[in-house]
Amino acid sequence: MSKFLKNLIKKNKTALGIGPMSLNCVKAAISLSNKYSFPLMLIASRRQIDSKENGGGYVNNWNTESYSKFVKKFDKKKKIIMSRDHGGPWQNNLEISKKFNLKEAMASAKRSYEIDILNDFKIIHIDTSIDINNKKVPIKKSLERFFELFEHCNNFAKKNNKKIFFEIGTEEQSGTTNNPDELKETLDNVYNFCKKKKFQKPIFVVIQSGTRVAETRNVGSFESPLRIENELPVEIQLPKMIEICNDYKIFMKEHNADYLSNHSLSLHPRLGIHATNVAPEFGVGETKGLIDVLKKYKLSKYLDEFYEISYKSKKWKKWLVPDSKATKIEKAVISGHYVFSTEDFLILKEQIKSYLIKKNFNLDTYLEKQIQKSILRYAKNFNLTK
Amino acid sequence: MKKKVATIILNRNLPKVTDKLYNQIKKYNKNETDIFIVDAGSIKKNISKYSTWIADWKQAKKKGLRFGRGMNFGLSKLYEENRFYDYEYFFLITNDTIIKNKPIIKDFCKIMEKHNYLAILSPCSKKWGEKNLLQKNKIKYFWYIHNNAYFLRRSFLDKIKNIKKPGYRNFLFDGKNFRGYGIVSEIILKAYKLNMAAAITSKIWVEENENYLLKMSNLIKTEPYNQNLILYLREGITWMKKKYKFQSKWDFSMHIKKFYDKFFQKNKELLKYKL
Repeated sequence: MSKFLKNLIKKNKTALGIGPMSLNCVKAAISLSNKYSFPLMLIASRRQIDSKENGGGYVNNWNTESYSKFVKKFDKKKKIIMSRDHGGPWQNNLEISKKFNLKEAMASAKRSYEIDILNDFKIIHIDTSIDINNKKVPIKKSLERFFELFEHCNNFAKKNNKKIFFEIGTEEQSGTTNNPDELKETLDNVYNFCKKKKFQKPIFVVIQSGTRVAETRNVGSFESPLRIENELPVEIQLPKMIEICNDYKIFMKEHNADYLSNHSLSLHPRLGIHATNVAPEFGVGETKGLIDVLKKYKLSKYLDEFYEISYKSKKWKKWLVPDSKATKIEKAVISGHYVFSTEDFLILKEQIKSYLIKKNFNLDTYLEKQIQKSILRYAKNFNLTK
Repeated sequence: MKKKVATIILNRNLPKVTDKLYNQIKKYNKNETDIFIVDAGSIKKNISKYSTWIADWKQAKKKGLRFGRGMNFGLSKLYEENRFYDYEYFFLITNDTIIKNKPIIKDFCKIMEKHNYLAILSPCSKKWGEKNLLQKNKIKYFWYIHNNAYFLRRSFLDKIKNIKKPGYRNFLFDGKNFRGYGIVSEIILKAYKLNMAAAITSKIWVEENENYLLKMSNLIKTEPYNQNLILYLREGITWMKKKYKFQSKWDFSMHIKKFYDKFFQKNKELLKYKL
């Protein structure tokens, strides 16, 4: 195992991947990882942060290049591992709105990966499971696309003297890693390809582990006794899949662990879950922090304005459970972090900050601390701070 | 002719559904099984015409018996009536179970005869992910099974039954856990501890008609589905914390898996049935 992996994956610990949901979130992640000296993966989706050429993303108006510069500048102890989460065709809004065909979407995904690699992203997640309509791609086609991107990234990294690692699979029902036979078949295919091309094998495979985020809670089967149609009960699925990962010498990565209880999180190292991604919880946490401050200082006009900006964004839509009873305010809480970089919100935030500074209250410092508390909950339960 | 199997059907306020299932089992399995119906506190007009034993005490009328207490009641009645040892196997099902028009009991017996180590056998459902694991090999041993239909070996029950005060609270399942989240896991644990096993087979299919619970809770006189689910989980977790000091289903499940793995270490010839 390379030094990089030995550092990241340790016995009785679960490595943590954090979605860079906002500027404050990124700062909180860097501060904590530096303070407690543990490695932390910052897992940017293409919608959050993409290359300049691909239009950047919704987080802090960053693009891959400026985001990378920021992280490298503040990460004094070099604890942050910049990672691409769900890279691949049609994983960026631009490729959908411009109605890219397969060839164009693949070319765009390749360019996006190239910028990642040039900007020192270390772990590259290749997710070829969806088409332009967010529909599942047949396994054979998905694998063909995966191999094309995998080869391209490998060759590009080699040419540019960069060392990168790969993550494969997806947590959604995709027919690639959802049951033991599918997982073995996918890994066999990928390993054969690696052998043929003399590439290093991927380090992570994403497995559905009974976690799913909707609204502001985890509605998967990890903590509930519910059966999900056509899926294995998580009590069988998870230990079995980890066993297979161990046999194949690949690390199991869980996505969407947001909002799980402390007990469930503390079980992760014991269950042998090697790594976990968490994202929306930190965005929602920041939004709730902002709302608390506005309520505390009785800034109801600003609060209403924030609710309106967030609600109108409609970014809450994809997070709702079927037949949701979420109120307008609850929807605004779900989508808050998506609007943090919009012009309307930035103007509003300046007004709020001007008011609060007179009260000797630094809004961003407070919000960053709130996110740190949230991240620390995971770090402690995953034994990362010991 | 002496029959090998006692089938126990649990009814609460759905007489037509129960009678239909009774007749269906009888039609296709009459030489293989005697059929008994436990009535779990139904109102008078909703008692199945084939009912064998009626739980008519106040608490049962108010809240029903649920799977654990209902099956305990039926099994303990058989024991009291000195009929428990007449059978080699017990088939425990709820009335909302949908089975095929075929002699499934014979199929169950064949599997149990072939697999001497099996204590518990569950049919599979087309809606379960487990069916994908049971394509090439139609039977596999599991450490976790979640169903409302189980085929049990009497010699196993004989080892774990509680006969101090046999009754609906304790004969087989722990009736202190009323709604029963975790009680089947406890039975599976006991099986593996006794060097026996629990399996699912895709040779026999059953489905659960959840519509009765989802849409007819008023008629059944039980809590609405979502409320029941919350109570089911809450009571089950409290029970497993108190009884085993487990904090969650995961502690329980991983504990059983330890014994599952040990079972295959001891019985290497059965490894092809391991997941």
